[in-house]
Amino acid sequence: MLEVNGLSAGYQGNDVVHDVAFRVHQGEAVMIIGSNGAGKTTLFKTLCGLLSPSSGKVLFEGGDITGIPAERIARLGMRFVSAARHLFPRMTIEENLLLGAYPNKPEPETMSIVLDLFPRLAERWRQRAGTLSGGEQQMLAIGRALMSNPRLLVLDEPSTGLAPLVARAAYEALNVLRERGLTVLVTEQQVPLAMAFCDRGYVLENGFIRLEGTTEQLTANPAIRSAYLGVT
Amino acid sequence: MIANILDGIVLGLQFGLLATGLTLIYGLGGVLNLGYGQIAVTSAMAVALAMEAGIPILPAAALGLLIGGLFGLFLDLTILRPVYRLRGEARVLLSLLLTLGVSFIVDGFLNWRFPLKTLNLHIGGGAVEILGVPMRRGSLVASAITLVTFAGLFVFFGRTSLGRAIRSVIEDEEGARLIGIDPKKMLRLILVLSGVLAALVAVTRSMVAPVDTKSGLSITVFALIVTVVGGLGNVVGALLAGIILGIVNVIAADFIGSYISLIILLVAAAVTILIRPTGLLGVKE
Repeated sequence: MLEVNGLSAGYQGNDVVHDVAFRVHQGEAVMIIGSNGAGKTTLFKTLCGLLSPSSGKVLFEGGDITGIPAERIARLGMRFVSAARHLFPRMTIEENLLLGAYPNKPEPETMSIVLDLFPRLAERWRQRAGTLSGGEQQMLAIGRALMSNPRLLVLDEPSTGLAPLVARAAYEALNVLRERGLTVLVTEQQVPLAMAFCDRGYVLENGFIRLEGTTEQLTANPAIRSAYLGVT
Repeated sequence: MIANILDGIVLGLQFGLLATGLTLIYGLGGVLNLGYGQIAVTSAMAVALAMEAGIPILPAAALGLLIGGLFGLFLDLTILRPVYRLRGEARVLLSLLLTLGVSFIVDGFLNWRFPLKTLNLHIGGGAVEILGVPMRRGSLVASAITLVTFAGLFVFFGRTSLGRAIRSVIEDEEGARLIGIDPKKMLRLILVLSGVLAALVAVTRSMVAPVDTKSGLSITVFALIVTVVGGLGNVVGALLAGIILGIVNVIAADFIGSYISLIILLVAAAVTILIRPTGLLGVKE
């Protein structure tokens, strides 16, 4: 579904990620893990079109989307949920969700799926997004992305700024979506959360992919156990 | 006093509509259009010429609105293109310089070709009494048109998906892009809308007082003051600030003298910035 080859990208000519290659198959949940500053956010911003790569290729469902602006990639069915969330703070939850379906009318079915998944959003329907707690904002960001019925959901550090319990609840919701067949690509600093959720993963260090494997293989790897799982 | 307040509201509604066009462009794209008043004047001259050619008032006014919208579109497609390549402060500054240049060119052309032409729409019939104050029919028609336009704008921005999409760009441009909204298209749309609003203000203003080729600068200045007081990117703020400043303007002109009213408006704007840097209804970044 998503195929990335030889991707290098960064800011003002200084590449932060180098020669990155990975793929995500239909129905999979794939993680990119790495420490702070490894280049995860730069990589994801490039994938979703907020940054232009300096070299490499990104294919989404067979089509070349390298260097295409974010607004067009979003309409192709690949939705990015940024760690910064980028909600519309002075607009209500309702308006934020409706905008997720723009330019189409929201499908009632999709809306009820989102509200079943995140009942809190229904309770705060007419509240402004800026007044929500961190966890609720993350729910709204994911919910808004879901309103367009995306085929690939790309999440940058969904646990950022969330209390452990709230982060786990967010992943539980993602699990429900996965079971419904949604394909998910996620970066995570809190690696155990992602490990419990994903089928496969890649390890990004200093802008390079150092390791890849199924979740079992990665969990069994002693280097990963000590660096990311806190097991010695 | 009641008469002053009513006159102030008539003027203030127009201030509010003027500021709406300016404030939306700034809020959406960080572009300050100092040629805004010239759009209004160009449209007014188009209406005046059309009526001289025997075209009835309604189609002539419609033509004026069309000219205003096309002027906005023209700015978007030509001189604002280099502006869009910049970000932040540099974008504001370049837009300010280039549109100021446009305003000089338009002013020069209009003063050369139509030095004595004015648009003066006479709305017939006698005065209508409101709260015991006789109001000119032109003022009431102008205010009614402005109010209906504001109602339309509120419905558009509050209830339609396109209106929401435009607001989303004002709130968070990156967030809007991530859900598939193209900020450039929204900005183009708003430039057209602001051109139409400028033309509408020119047409309604001419029902109260004549609009001539030298009105451009003062229209821009009024719009700028109201925009600053109301808060950038905020339509409700523009309306509220417009009405307040309209009343202030009329009262100042009546009690002190019209020469001083612009100074008082500037002082009001300066005080607002000192107390609330983001304007009446502006939100802190």
